[in-house]
Amino acid sequence: MTALLAATPAHLTVKIAYLSILPMLALLGGALVILVWSSLLRRPLETVWITSLTVLAATAALVLSLMQYFDVIHHGAHVAIDGAIVSDGFSAFVAVLVSAAVVVAALVGDGWLQQETIRGPEFHVLVLVSASGAMVMGAANDLIVVFLGLEILSIALYVLAAFNARRRQSGEAALKYFVLGGFSSAVFLYGIALVYGSTGTTNLPQIASYLAQNYVLHNGMLLAGLALLLVGFGFKAAAVPFHLWTPDVYQGSPSPVTGFMAAVAKVGAFAALLRVFVSSFGLLRADWQPAVWVIAVASLLLGASVALVQRDIKRMLAYSSINHAGFILLGLQAGSTKGVEGSLYYLFAYSFLALGSFAVISVVGGPGDGRHGLDRYRGLARRQPWLAGALALFLVAQAGIPPTTGFWAKLEVLQAAAGAHSYALAVIAMLSAVIAGFFYLRVVVLMYSPAGATGDGAATGTIVDTVEPARAVGDEGEPVGVAPGGEAGSGAVALLEADTGESAEPLVIPGTTGIALALCAGATVVLGIYPAWLTDFAHQATLLFHP
Amino acid sequence: MLSHAYLIPLLPLAGFLVLALFGRRIGEPWAGWLGTATVAGSFVLSLVTYGALLGRTGSGREVTDVVYNWIPAIPHSGFQVSASLLVDPLSMTMVLFVTGISTLIHLYSIGYMDGDGDFPKFFLYLNLFVASMLVLVLGGNLLMTFVGWEGVGVCSYWLISFWFGRDSAASAGKKAFLYNRVADVGFLLAMFLVFERTGTLSYGSAGGGGFLGQAASLPPSTRTAVCLLLFLAAAGKSAQFPLFPWLADAMEGPTPVSALIHAATMVTAGVYLMCRIGPLLSLSHTAQLVVSIVGVGTAFVAASIGCAQQDIKKVLAYSTVSQLGYMFLAVGTGAYEAAIFLMVAHAFFKGLLFLGAGSVIHGLHDEQDLKRMGNLRRYMKLTFWTVSVGVVAIAGIPPLSGFFAKGDVLDNAFAGSLFPWKVMWAVGLATALLTAYYMTRLLVLAFLGDDRWKAVVDGGRAKKDPHESPWVMTVPLVVLAVLAVVGGALNLPGHLSFDPLRWLAPVFGPGAFEEHLSGSSQWVLGVVDALVALVGAGVAFRLWSRETERPALEPALLQRSWYLDEVTDATLGRPGQALARMAASFDTRVIDGAVTGVARLTRGAGSGLRRVQTGYVRQYALGITVGLVVLVGYVTFLAVAR
Amino acid sequence: MEDYLPIFVLLVLGILFASLSFVGSALLAPRKKPTSAKLAPYECGIIPDREPPQRFPVRFYLVAMIFIIFDIEIVFLYPFAVIYRQFLGAFGLVEVLVFAGVVLVSFVYLVSNGALSWGPARHLRPAQPERTSASTISRVGSGPGSGADRAA
Repeated sequence: MTALLAATPAHLTVKIAYLSILPMLALLGGALVILVWSSLLRRPLETVWITSLTVLAATAALVLSLMQYFDVIHHGAHVAIDGAIVSDGFSAFVAVLVSAAVVVAALVGDGWLQQETIRGPEFHVLVLVSASGAMVMGAANDLIVVFLGLEILSIALYVLAAFNARRRQSGEAALKYFVLGGFSSAVFLYGIALVYGSTGTTNLPQIASYLAQNYVLHNGMLLAGLALLLVGFGFKAAAVPFHLWTPDVYQGSPSPVTGFMAAVAKVGAFAALLRVFVSSFGLLRADWQPAVWVIAVASLLLGASVALVQRDIKRMLAYSSINHAGFILLGLQAGSTKGVEGSLYYLFAYSFLALGSFAVISVVGGPGDGRHGLDRYRGLARRQPWLAGALALFLVAQAGIPPTTGFWAKLEVLQAAAGAHSYALAVIAMLSAVIAGFFYLRVVVLMYSPAGATGDGAATGTIVDTVEPARAVGDEGEPVGVAPGGEAGSGAVALLEADTGESAEPLVIPGTTGIALALCAGATVVLGIYPAWLTDFAHQATLLFHP
Repeated sequence: MLSHAYLIPLLPLAGFLVLALFGRRIGEPWAGWLGTATVAGSFVLSLVTYGALLGRTGSGREVTDVVYNWIPAIPHSGFQVSASLLVDPLSMTMVLFVTGISTLIHLYSIGYMDGDGDFPKFFLYLNLFVASMLVLVLGGNLLMTFVGWEGVGVCSYWLISFWFGRDSAASAGKKAFLYNRVADVGFLLAMFLVFERTGTLSYGSAGGGGFLGQAASLPPSTRTAVCLLLFLAAAGKSAQFPLFPWLADAMEGPTPVSALIHAATMVTAGVYLMCRIGPLLSLSHTAQLVVSIVGVGTAFVAASIGCAQQDIKKVLAYSTVSQLGYMFLAVGTGAYEAAIFLMVAHAFFKGLLFLGAGSVIHGLHDEQDLKRMGNLRRYMKLTFWTVSVGVVAIAGIPPLSGFFAKGDVLDNAFAGSLFPWKVMWAVGLATALLTAYYMTRLLVLAFLGDDRWKAVVDGGRAKKDPHESPWVMTVPLVVLAVLAVVGGALNLPGHLSFDPLRWLAPVFGPGAFEEHLSGSSQWVLGVVDALVALVGAGVAFRLWSRETERPALEPALLQRSWYLDEVTDATLGRPGQALARMAASFDTRVIDGAVTGVARLTRGAGSGLRRVQTGYVRQYALGITVGLVVLVGYVTFLAVAR
Repeated sequence: MEDYLPIFVLLVLGILFASLSFVGSALLAPRKKPTSAKLAPYECGIIPDREPPQRFPVRFYLVAMIFIIFDIEIVFLYPFAVIYRQFLGAFGLVEVLVFAGVVLVSFVYLVSNGALSWGPARHLRPAQPERTSASTISRVGSGPGSGADRAA
């Protein structure tokens, strides 16, 4: 015992450099305040207050991370908390992206909670905590801290996936995600151990300098550790063949959670993956690039081709997110700063596309969040022109059609791949984008074709017939067994309809979801027409990459 | 104000967005008023900008306003484009007359489109058109111009087939679209070539670092190639031989569209483009020769066709083609100022004539055949007088604007130093004769003579009496008539000039004829022009004021536009269709086979792979483990192999 | 290698403790073999006709879980206490107070949710009126949750 203690330095007082962790603290602080406030009140806190507080905390985090960014620009990158956290352009970029995503996710979540009449602070608290984990991953300067961030991110997400206690699939999704997530975390941790065993440190810059100073002759253990790390990251990022959980979990989780998961979990995983692989193991590039190449190609092709045959829009977008993961891996495979820049850009663009798409889905899914068959989107444009327009925009952007961010994102990563002479990979990526274009545009066509035109329409027709009696009862104002208070009554009718499937009731877009959709659409279009701001931001972020 | 030039196209664009989102809710007539207001605001802004530009001198009058960096630098190629606007005398002249004419025609449309079911949609397109046209003329590089170029192209397509329920309108739209696409290939290739040779697409004059500044250092073949490729694009957009048949069919669109897009503004985009690349064009004699020969040839051919048309709008359409030919003649002779002068004057009088024709059509309840009109002077006094002004102006009878504008072009052709210029002058003069002839014919047939429309029984019932149009339609007529009268003052020759257009000189360098023509020869040429115009008008008056059927003067050759459509059909259409059929069979058998094969393969792979998705966690974990084992196996192999 | 000596010693001690316990209980336990009556759940003579119920209320597990979480969090306080005076100083005190504060917040949340109140369930949140047993049952049975929906 004394020997262990003697090894520690005499003064443990470390310099914290609070600005570098303030964005995370803002999110966590917001979560704690919401939790305490709602616990101390006798009556449950109104959701609107919780959402406002969440948005406030996320906005504060956004401002703080921008401040951090400008601090880095003026004073250079630096490490904090005894080398555990690094404050550079990269971490600031991730923090900005995550906080912006939280703003949107909180708004979408608010709309969904209203729609489902779920009360309580848990959703927003978990979103905040989970997002702070992603931020930690972006700023981590040590493999252990990466792991810490990964677990903060994941554990909150497991709970969020199970959040819709009324849907059986929600619990199923959470359990699958939890079991497999635990498995992958263990693999990841084992990877850390192997890396530590062969380099003697878990600190990222120290690993890099160790590899620079020593030529490891028998590096089997180191490479095995690297492979295990790749598995752990690949799981969170939903890259083939570690993607198997994705469709089930994306489909089962509540739609706003799925959007949040697609955006923030991917951001966290890819941020840490990029930093670890490019900055620490950059010298082993020749060893990991082929592996990443194979994973990228598999993700690109499998994601695009399996999405073609899906009939559930959430599953389709799950496979599409696998396809997007392949695209982001293009930037990693390039292994250059240009590649990192492209991946960051792609993450930014994709986050808002995913959040926006799933926001629309959560509205179209209706009360109960259970109706996600593609047939439900037939003729949506006539019933809900704004909603259909927004979804069309997000899908078209995901297909990579200008003038949207999606186009520039694909262009950036493809440029990186071409710059690294990975021409075959770039060609495969473009082919997969062609395949992907088909299923995105198919939904758009579906939305803008007249309802119940052909074939599949017959099925929905019969279901509508069975709904009619239930609706008639509700419309005539006959007692349906619940208190006459309007909201409760309509809720009961909605539940009955949720049971039978298709409904004829007009979809209601909650105001907060509307704001979130406007934010996402605005980001997609404005940054698509005016891409220079984001490319400059991503470029600066990578310039200030190495501390 | 100069740094806020981006507001000029932004305002109509905002109008477009508002109409796109809320057009139906705003409804008639407020959608029209909104569209008019945004364009009028844009006009006011242009005036202010114009004033600011006047306050400067020399190279200070060329301001490049980089709004933002549109396409960030692409590594390894240096391709970079900023969304920049070039504010200089040339673009401001264009902007002024585009916004001015557009305002008037928007106003007119409120009356003309009255009662149309798609009233808001019409103004939606019209506003988008104005915004695109402004981007076209203000664009600071070829790509910006191209964005506007395509924007006006698509608006033109939508507006020609605005009444797409009519089969002829739908196919006319398609025809215009196809002709323009063929031409756009030239634009694209020119852009590729310019970028490949100079590394930039921005115009930038002598010191500006753009490709025009580097024109002198380019090899002559490149200069000629770029100019001819861009001229191909210009010939499509401005309806020059052999790409002009679409413009006649474009008259299927509503008349305000014909006036605004297919007479005053969009079709002049090609002329503008050639003027814009003037510094480059002046260095290539081949290209100049091609441009002027095509120009004067088109002018003559179109004028001859115009002599035999019965549809009032077709006459005006061919007249437009003819006048555009004049403009290209001027461009080819290096007289860019004369081209712009004729463009502005033409916008005034041709806009006036189209709106007058629209008023007639409106008053006669959609009658377009000249042979079924007559004596309208009694019923539509204001329209008659304003159209008369337009006819006198376009015929080139002094002292209206047409005389000066056309005279300018012809003088330059006469003064040209190369041999063919004299021939071109002669052809141009002959065209002027024809112009005076067919325009007077139009006037006589429509407004004088007997009330032939009374004899027409349409669908079993006689036509109602024609009526004068509402004020929103007549006010633009009067304004344009005044402009057509005084427009000549813009660029009077010699010392009489008070000259707002001469300020274009810094953009192009001095015009040709100042150097070669003495004052007395100018007077002689002017008198010749005027005499020719009077002869043409007089002949037409004698021939057509009593007789309405003169088959000898309307040969089938001219009625059917020199069989150009038939020739195109035979040389390109039929072989093209045969080729298309061959391609189609190749397509269905080979390519489709491959594509559907790939699609089936992908789908097959998809449905095969989805079986992997069993829903069992243990199998998912197994899958991950397999991946893990393969990965670790691979790195072990790496380590051992080393 | 000496650094690992204490760990090794701890390992040996652990194994020793476990085996000594077994040996000790074997030495100290009564030697007589138990009869079947002695092994029965109830020694009062009533023979159970089925296995004793194995069900515990969920709350039991919940409390057990909460206990473990707080227990582990408290474990962090021990090393802190050991080196506090020697190395950490005021900074360490602040840090540990923050830590305790966060733990306290979660405790407050648990208490306010009634996670620690034993006995019949007490709902702080109003029950959702639209959730009737009928609707819930029909949801599980025929709603989109049924297995047929998970095609693909």
